[in-house]
Amino acid sequence: MITFHDIQIKFGHFHAIKNLNLHIKEGEFFTFLGPSGCGKTTILRSLVGFIAPAGGQIMLNGKDITHVPIEKREISMVFQSYALFPTMNVYENIAFGMRVKKASKAEIDREVRDIAQKVDLKEEQLFKKVSELSGGQQQRVAIARALVLKPSILALDEPLSNLDAKLRVQLRNELKNLQKKFGITTIYVTHDQEEALTLSDRIAVFNNGIIEQVGTPQEVYNQSKTEFVCNFIGDINKIDPLTIMNSQLKESIDPNKIAYIRNEKVSLLPLPGKEAVQLRGTIVDQEFYGLYSKYVLEIEGGGLLKTIEKETGFSRYKVGDKIGIFIHPGDILQY
Amino acid sequence: MRTIRNQLASVNPIALIFYGLIVWFIVAFLIYPNVNIYYEIFFKDGKFSLDAAEKLLSSERAMRSLYNSFILAVSLVFTVNIIGVVLVLISEYFDIKGAKILRLGYFTTLIYSGVVLVSGYKFVYGENGFMTKLLAGLFPSFDPTWFHGYWAVLFVMTFACTSNHVLFLSNAIRKIDFQTVEAARNMGASTFYILWRVVLPVLKPTMFALTILIFLTGLAATSAPLILGGKEFQTITPMILTFSKSVSSRDLAALLALVLGLATLVLLTIMVRFERKGNFMSVSKVKSELVKQKINNKLGNIAAHILAYFLFLIYIIPVVLIIIFSFTDAHSISTATLDFSSFTLNNYLFVFSTMSAFKPYLVSIAYAAAASVAVVALTLVASRILHKFKNKWTLALEYALLIPWMLPSTLIAIGLIVTFNMPRLVIGNAVLVGTVWMLFLAYVIVHIPFTLRMVKASFFSLDSNLEDAAKNLGAKPFYTFMKVLLPIILPSTLAVLALNFNSILADYDLTVFLYHPLYQPLGIVIKNSTDAQALADTKAVTLVYSVVLMIMSGLTLYFVYGRKSRS
Repeated sequence: MITFHDIQIKFGHFHAIKNLNLHIKEGEFFTFLGPSGCGKTTILRSLVGFIAPAGGQIMLNGKDITHVPIEKREISMVFQSYALFPTMNVYENIAFGMRVKKASKAEIDREVRDIAQKVDLKEEQLFKKVSELSGGQQQRVAIARALVLKPSILALDEPLSNLDAKLRVQLRNELKNLQKKFGITTIYVTHDQEEALTLSDRIAVFNNGIIEQVGTPQEVYNQSKTEFVCNFIGDINKIDPLTIMNSQLKESIDPNKIAYIRNEKVSLLPLPGKEAVQLRGTIVDQEFYGLYSKYVLEIEGGGLLKTIEKETGFSRYKVGDKIGIFIHPGDILQY
Repeated sequence: MRTIRNQLASVNPIALIFYGLIVWFIVAFLIYPNVNIYYEIFFKDGKFSLDAAEKLLSSERAMRSLYNSFILAVSLVFTVNIIGVVLVLISEYFDIKGAKILRLGYFTTLIYSGVVLVSGYKFVYGENGFMTKLLAGLFPSFDPTWFHGYWAVLFVMTFACTSNHVLFLSNAIRKIDFQTVEAARNMGASTFYILWRVVLPVLKPTMFALTILIFLTGLAATSAPLILGGKEFQTITPMILTFSKSVSSRDLAALLALVLGLATLVLLTIMVRFERKGNFMSVSKVKSELVKQKINNKLGNIAAHILAYFLFLIYIIPVVLIIIFSFTDAHSISTATLDFSSFTLNNYLFVFSTMSAFKPYLVSIAYAAAASVAVVALTLVASRILHKFKNKWTLALEYALLIPWMLPSTLIAIGLIVTFNMPRLVIGNAVLVGTVWMLFLAYVIVHIPFTLRMVKASFFSLDSNLEDAAKNLGAKPFYTFMKVLLPIILPSTLAVLALNFNSILADYDLTVFLYHPLYQPLGIVIKNSTDAQALADTKAVTLVYSVVLMIMSGLTLYFVYGRKSRS
């Protein structure tokens, strides 16, 4: 559906995007994930048309839209601040785009009420000031305003970043449900890995203007392609070379490469499978999080590893315990 | 009972004296003169009469001036808003080449205003002015006496009154969430549709407040109609000034001032109502900064640039010419010609070495310094009280101190004149009219509301824990105030002091009613130099006054605002 072909974007001498190639499928919930300043918003804005690339092509359904004006691309954007017009009420906000297009009054009214109903905005909320709405309702107005124009793509620029943690989770679910309901191709920009993992069909991880990895949430998490990706997403152990050298691990993995393993994949219970390697160590620290506890283990032969254990109510481990530690060499990521 | 006694015991005697002084000041100078003015108008000989009103209604000149003021105020609402909005759009919203320089030009009204500005425009566009000569040279049939009457007043005031737009509207436009503009673009809106439907509605409350201020400025206009109005275009304030000069028509002056005061009161009430009702609130928590909009239409872009630079010229020409001609000799000034040989530093040397030329400076500086220090001291004490206690008495205190905010300065001046021209018990039977104190008091009174609002705001932004901490460490209230609180609010207080000093320095509108003939302040001297019979030497001295005043205001503004915005 959308293809970025050798896209380059420059701001003066700053090379914001270097040779980007990417394909996004119809109906997909696709996320651009990365730290701030990595170029993810830039590429979204170039898709919407606010930024003209210095080189390359953006194709939409086989047509080159690189130099098509913003309003003719049929891509609606939901902004980080929602960008609701404070001087207009909810109805006028949603109707804005149709009024610009000079649609008839009856048509506007029909479409506005229709979309408002679909995003669960009540009749009486339509004539309220936008400042009288809650954060969740504001988000729904912003989405309704974008969807009423029947775009082929919805572009969302960190729409949850200005909310508090609890509301963020609630609206995240709401957003996912809306996207499922409308089935519209959605491009979502965020720096929050949890949002990316829970919402997306596929994720592109950005760093310094280049894409480090494209894949499903599971792929990006479990088979991080680069060192940056594995560090950026989730908690991870960098395995001390001493740990590898002084254990069975040296037989199955290359001790000269940097090795990582996800915290939760360091097990305190025996693992199935013949390949599983057992290490020995001592618990040197414990942090209690309620749902789980985090342990720091000092490995015999050198090095530290972190792991987490779900809190079942029976505190089995305490600092000073000497225990066995189990690792699947296949879970180790090497770069 | 015990609590009252405890409270009394905890108040120290020095504080009590302060409270007493404030109450006396409010009664004697804020309430008494402004109430007494009604008595003087309607109960002149001890019994109620409407003579003054009849006299006013039958005076064609007076009615004419009322009408003219109204016309001027209405015209200014349109012209100033249009020019003001255009200036702000040029300097803040559209991508115009050289906007930084343009803005400097548009800001010139901040460094000179009132009588300095009007006399400057008259100097440039008046009968012997440089621009008039230039225009007459280009168009042979050009009338050199063109610059007077309604159009001249409107022209000057239109460009003189954009300062508030430049300050407040620019601020408002900068607060717009740029994402709303982009959202509108994303939905297909054009540059002008966005301007009309998204940007201007956000500015509406600010523009409403500005409109009321413009209307009030137009109604109470003093120096512009006085200097440029000529015989055919006299407005209320110049008329009040004329009437107040003779004892027999003083009641007329008072009544006219009252009309002006009433209009002000009504308009300000509307404004407060409207503000309180609230208009809308921005819902954006993470705003993005406004990015200047390119005008895509080529012709439109060229037209915008031409307009921008044309306005720039209008703003900058008087300033540049005042500065240039302040360095030329009397011959150049009177003939509006420039010649290399006529450049000289003599005007400056003369002003700073001759006592008679320097005296207006001394008078103005003395008044400005004394009044601005006094008003800050008064409001500091008042703010301290307002901050410390909260009851119906402090509420009354606050409202009483805000009285001058609701009255035009002309009404205050007339109130002082008709009240203190005979011995009054409240000030120990002294007569104030004809003394140097009148002007000092008036300056203090007029500047109380603005100063109080600023000083009070800085008091209320103080962390209340600081005072408690000092108390906890054993400090007495006065010690706490001097060592802990005052140092924190001092910077903003000094800034207010500087702004007050500046505005008093070149004041004319209030000064003209109350000045002592032997101690003429700068404003009066500058105004007198605009008279047709004024000597070229006098004009040269005035130009020097103007330039020095501009430099002083420029420096003040830089220290108060310029540095703050940088940090």
